[in-house]
Amino acid sequence: MTQFAEWLSQTSLSLAIQSHEWVIPTVQSVHIIAIAGVLGSVFMIMLRILVRAGRDQTLAQTTARFGPWLSWALCVLMVTGVVMIVGEPARQLLALSFWLKMGLVVIGTAVAVLFQRSLRRHEPHWESVLVNQSRVKGLAVVTFLVWVSVVVLGRLIAYDYVWGSWSTALKQ
Amino acid sequence: MDVAGLIASLEASGLATGIRNSLYLFPLIESAHVVGLTMVFGTILIIDLRLLGLASTQRRFTAIASDVFKWTWLAFAVTVMTGALMFVTNASTYYNNAYFRAKMVLLVLSGLNMLAFELTARRSLHVWDRHAAAPAAGRAVAALSLALWIGVIFLGRWVGFTTSSVPVPADDVDLEKLEDLLPK
Repeated sequence: MTQFAEWLSQTSLSLAIQSHEWVIPTVQSVHIIAIAGVLGSVFMIMLRILVRAGRDQTLAQTTARFGPWLSWALCVLMVTGVVMIVGEPARQLLALSFWLKMGLVVIGTAVAVLFQRSLRRHEPHWESVLVNQSRVKGLAVVTFLVWVSVVVLGRLIAYDYVWGSWSTALKQ
Repeated sequence: MDVAGLIASLEASGLATGIRNSLYLFPLIESAHVVGLTMVFGTILIIDLRLLGLASTQRRFTAIASDVFKWTWLAFAVTVMTGALMFVTNASTYYNNAYFRAKMVLLVLSGLNMLAFELTARRSLHVWDRHAAAPAAGRAVAALSLALWIGVIFLGRWVGFTTSSVPVPADDVDLEKLEDLLPK
């Protein structure tokens, strides 16, 4: 991974990003705005499942409102995320926080895709049975916490030493 | 006491020293700050898009507001508290940082913008609550709100890039010293 980061940092695209100081903070700001879209959308769907918001809306209506915003925000996050990796390969790819974050992003994205697909196929079952089950409510809270953890781990990429001897950045 | 004296005493306080001397507190406070601000922006986005008539248009504005606003305020409280802790840690650095000052100006403008909403569109809410979009004054407040908050996020990131707020610079951390801190 160190060699890959080293190679990536010498590509012309990476050098172009590195030579313009404004690129990384700008892309980070867009990345933060997009994660706000993800967190807000997941939060509202969670609140609907917990019957704490959107009581006048079905689960399908709530998901139709927030699902597309969630998907588009995820696309923006991936594009801006790739720009940050290309621009600062060592900072990202050598950090334990980065890989923990990627693990949770895969889980969170898989849950979002499976949930929306299942809701489309089994809408009556979701509205009448599943949405009332406490394990589904628990899963909704866990999904929201996964995305909160993604935000925390994203910030901790800058502070990989918090992992002490587990930090992969310090071992390079 | 003058402002410079106040800033210096904040920075010399036990709280500020404690955060500076910890390897972990500043990163954790900053992480909570980012979670808070993303929740503030994520929920305000829902309100503003409704006012602009761009999303949730089939629901009453008051239904959206009662779903969302309490969480916006809770997240805002978390963001302000963690922001205050970050500020005292390096008070003079932030106080003298142009991006930090600009960010504070935008936050004040954002508050005045909310006040403008209360004084204008809010007064005729009973008329347009079910309309797809707010009247012009409400839409203007919503557009300005989005612009101000996006500005706050950008400036916040620029504050981070122009201040050295890390208690221990990551590049200078010695692995052996870190291992001494861990339970044996």
